[in-house]
Amino acid sequence: MNTEISQLLNNKVSWLADCGPNDDIAISSRIRLARNLRGLPFPTNASPEQMKHVIATVETAVQKTSLKDELLRFDMEAIRAIDKQVLFERRLVSREFIEGKIPGALLVTGDESLGVMINEEDHIRMQAMRPGFQLGPVWDELNKLDDELSALVPYVFDKELGFLTSCPTNVGTGIRASVMLHLPGLVLSEQINAVIQGVSKLGFAVRGIFGEGSKNLGNLFQVSNQSTLGESEQQIVQQLGSVITQIISHEKNARRKLLESNQNFLLNHVGRAYGTLRHAYILNSEEALESLSALRLGVDLGMFSSIDLHTVNELFIIIHPAHLQKYAGKEIDSEERDVFRASLVRERLKNADKR
Amino acid sequence: MICEICNKNPATIHIQEIVNGQKKVLHICAGCAAKKSTEDPLLQGFNVAEMLYNLSGQFGLPFNPEPPHSHEHEVELECPTCGWKSEDLRKNGKLGCEDCYSTFKSVLDSALKNMHRGSLHVGKSPGETPDKSCGHIMLEIMNLQKELDELVQREEYEKAAVIRDQINKLKQDVNNQ
Repeated sequence: MNTEISQLLNNKVSWLADCGPNDDIAISSRIRLARNLRGLPFPTNASPEQMKHVIATVETAVQKTSLKDELLRFDMEAIRAIDKQVLFERRLVSREFIEGKIPGALLVTGDESLGVMINEEDHIRMQAMRPGFQLGPVWDELNKLDDELSALVPYVFDKELGFLTSCPTNVGTGIRASVMLHLPGLVLSEQINAVIQGVSKLGFAVRGIFGEGSKNLGNLFQVSNQSTLGESEQQIVQQLGSVITQIISHEKNARRKLLESNQNFLLNHVGRAYGTLRHAYILNSEEALESLSALRLGVDLGMFSSIDLHTVNELFIIIHPAHLQKYAGKEIDSEERDVFRASLVRERLKNADKR
Repeated sequence: MICEICNKNPATIHIQEIVNGQKKVLHICAGCAAKKSTEDPLLQGFNVAEMLYNLSGQFGLPFNPEPPHSHEHEVELECPTCGWKSEDLRKNGKLGCEDCYSTFKSVLDSALKNMHRGSLHVGKSPGETPDKSCGHIMLEIMNLQKELDELVQREEYEKAAVIRDQINKLKQDVNNQ
């Protein structure tokens, strides 16, 4: 097994670590910046030689930043498909990046909090990620890395349009800030569509757990800014922050109302999900995510003394296909995965009960 | 702004027509535009995607010397630096290199207006200390541009010309910096 990948698998995923402001509702905060090198075509239109040149240039630069001592490196051309999938499931790379046919690389800190994708849609896509709702510290960290890199490599920058990006939807600041929210209260009380519509009207996008085009499995929603031009990074981050604050308070209200007026419904919902997770022998990923969402809600509401948030958070990651196969130690087909997934979940919850 | 036909979706397409000196404005969403394009003579023969792509020419601000152009006369552009073509841009919505931004400026200007809250960068610059950054000038230009748009809509062209000159001067300042 690739040693870097196994190092990741042994990690207690830092952006899922069980501490973070508002972590009962906000799972993680993430910001990414898009940058390109001057004088080279964007990855959309570059030759493999040019892409390799970009990798070498950016990598040399990143090795000179304050991150240099803690970097793991993944060469997209060299690693196996399943390892790419592991990186994707840990939200370190985009789907586009792992499916791309051009030479690319990922540099990521050992704790997975900071990463640089080289040759995704842009030469450089750097991201910072932390648990809970804390966009401010995430921005400070990423901004620092960007400052360091900008002194080492020449960015494409236009005085009127800012940082030029392959897709005009990212031009200007090149910033995409997002917070992943767990919103079972709003879903159960059927208010979620109104909230999503309201948020979109304000110019923010709501997506599923794995970004563009993914379903809202497990009641997980990613809310992010869409406009990147005409406002400063701080303004964009602040605006997103106030939208998130609003959504969190709506979710809290929804949970409180459900508890007050519909307690049996709620207890039944959580209890049945726990029963499924604790006793099922065949569990597909959709059912697993839906049940884990209910379990997480139960943990948030203090219904389980033995299960902590971290156990549930970790399950949210390891039930995905590539992670399962890593734990199984071999490639297994989808039917076998459903059986293995069920046993892994039973095991984890049993261990939690024993503690 | 909400679509005037379905009253549901946000209006992303704005059609303005002057018939016998009477101004007629219609704000509609993409879905209704597609439906309407089959029945309304104003929209007939337009494919919505092409229409969006095309709005660029009609949005030219007064200080923009480019004449409005229609699709039939539109030249297929090709970036001299990287060879990226109008067709490539239409197909995947992406650009080929930094110079594409000037090559496809006529198309991008209006597209950017639809995508973003403003048309000028006011964020950080590479390797610049914050006080040297020209963000505040950009912000001023943007505010003036909003004012300019409003004046043009109200057809107060003399006042608009003054604002236009102010904008041009500020833009020059930025470029000389």
